[in-house]
Amino acid sequence: MYRLRKILKRTVFILLVIFVVAIILIPIYWMVNTSLKTPREVIDPIPSFFPRTPTLANYKAVFKSGLWKNFSNSVIVAVSATLASIILAFLSSYALARYRFPFHLNRLFLIWVLVVRILPPIVLAVPLFTIFNRIGLINTLGGLIVAFQIYTLPYSIWIIYGFLKTLPKEYEEAARIDGASPLRVLVSIVAPLVRSGIIATSIFALILAWNEFLFALLFVRSPRLLTLPVVIARYIGEYTTQWGELMAIGLFASLPILIFSNVVYKKQTEGFSMSLK
Amino acid sequence: MRNRERAHYNSFFYLIFAPALLVTLFLTAYPMATIFYDSFFRYSLVSNTRTFVGFQNFSRILREELFQRSLVNTLVFTLVASITEVVLGTALAFLFKREFRGKRVASLIVIFPMIISTMVICAVWQTFYHYEIGIFNYILRKWNLAPVGWLTDQRVALFSIILVDIWQWTPFAFLIIQAGMGSIPAEIWEAAQIDGARGGQIAMKITLPILRSQILMVLMLRTLDTFRLFDKVYALTGGGPANATQTLSFFIYREGFKFFNFGRASAASVITLFGVAFLALFYVRSLLGEED
Repeated sequence: MYRLRKILKRTVFILLVIFVVAIILIPIYWMVNTSLKTPREVIDPIPSFFPRTPTLANYKAVFKSGLWKNFSNSVIVAVSATLASIILAFLSSYALARYRFPFHLNRLFLIWVLVVRILPPIVLAVPLFTIFNRIGLINTLGGLIVAFQIYTLPYSIWIIYGFLKTLPKEYEEAARIDGASPLRVLVSIVAPLVRSGIIATSIFALILAWNEFLFALLFVRSPRLLTLPVVIARYIGEYTTQWGELMAIGLFASLPILIFSNVVYKKQTEGFSMSLK
Repeated sequence: MRNRERAHYNSFFYLIFAPALLVTLFLTAYPMATIFYDSFFRYSLVSNTRTFVGFQNFSRILREELFQRSLVNTLVFTLVASITEVVLGTALAFLFKREFRGKRVASLIVIFPMIISTMVICAVWQTFYHYEIGIFNYILRKWNLAPVGWLTDQRVALFSIILVDIWQWTPFAFLIIQAGMGSIPAEIWEAAQIDGARGGQIAMKITLPILRSQILMVLMLRTLDTFRLFDKVYALTGGGPANATQTLSFFIYREGFKFFNFGRASAASVITLFGVAFLALFYVRSLLGEED
């Protein structure tokens, strides 16, 4: 009797887990499924759960229409924005962790960084548009790299500051006594010690920048400069019947970052999850 | 010599701090000051004129039906989405507390939605919700039920967007609450079991109270993120049908980037900022309150 109950409980448990995983996987499977269908099959009111005549035509079509260009835009913008944020964040966090600036600047700045994190970004978009327009950053990838700092910089500062704060000062002091310059200490002592944390922070910042939509939508107009999320949004708005192509682009935009899900999962406990958005 | 070395040492820290400080001020402090200033002007990019109007932008916007609608929709979305996500996330964390084969793979799959771009997610759900070819209406028809205008029915559209948000962000709540559970020492559960507490009792009386700050934290982050809802509205409904899915962010977007009424957009931004500040203070107080 007791064993029967245990088996029953176990079965319910397994079914629940399968149910949860299915809810997550069905939309992703549907993306793959639809991307392999012919345009005619896609608009069939009776949806097929496997493509009847699997085709790569949608993939061919989107690459012919210049998706590589958008893909490389996304890569350029996301990688540059991440690099810039990590360098700025590493330098400033080190200063904040090791030096006391006057007027409580350390604390004020860290609070401000948190405030930025909770702001709705649209609030900054209107005035930034005017400024960027004046200095020629509208409709350039450079402008996006700068604008993305609104997300990636506060995030990187907050996480990297957390690492540096817990780092013992002894190594740095020893190196200083041996006559190393502050810059030397920073580059050859501190940086290697927080390397793994910085790599993980970069990955999180990269995901943020890769998926960013608002500024990419508002600050760039030329089709050849668009990033992938905006291309997808345009597809949804304009070519509503091309579901197959849309799903092909979606899959293409998702695969490069799904590789990192392992890191995201592993680093959860270290305060990274603070904000993926 | 000693002094010069000291000065050199100090200037090094100023030098490495300055770039991040300047970038942050340029991107956030300056625009925020501009919003507050512009909100007192009738200022349109189209006519390129700027007239001081005092609080007129505020008083007009607050009385407009569209703005009130946006505010209510934002609040409904924020409340329903964030609470559901936290409840489901907590439930998931309890479900995944046990060991089972494939747990690692299952956990990795569960966090997929929060890594994928919102636009990709909207594209997929757009096909699900489609009136004619969507899978939801296909199922309804199969059960001989009337199809639903998931994104075109005024009463349903907002909740359809909420459902997408829940699918996307419940994993985030799960991730943080699971991390919190992992940090509870096993002795606590063992002690409770020895004392004869049952599974449900342990969850309600021991685990949940210990996780209180984690749960509040996730709730805060989700509230603040859902409050800025824009992308999903843009991709799924465009604010319609009949303004049923207008939100504060979308209102600002329309005023600023469709009608180029920068004065009104700024005033709406200021009101939104006060909303965010209110939410943040509320959570900070309850998070700090428990430490005393």
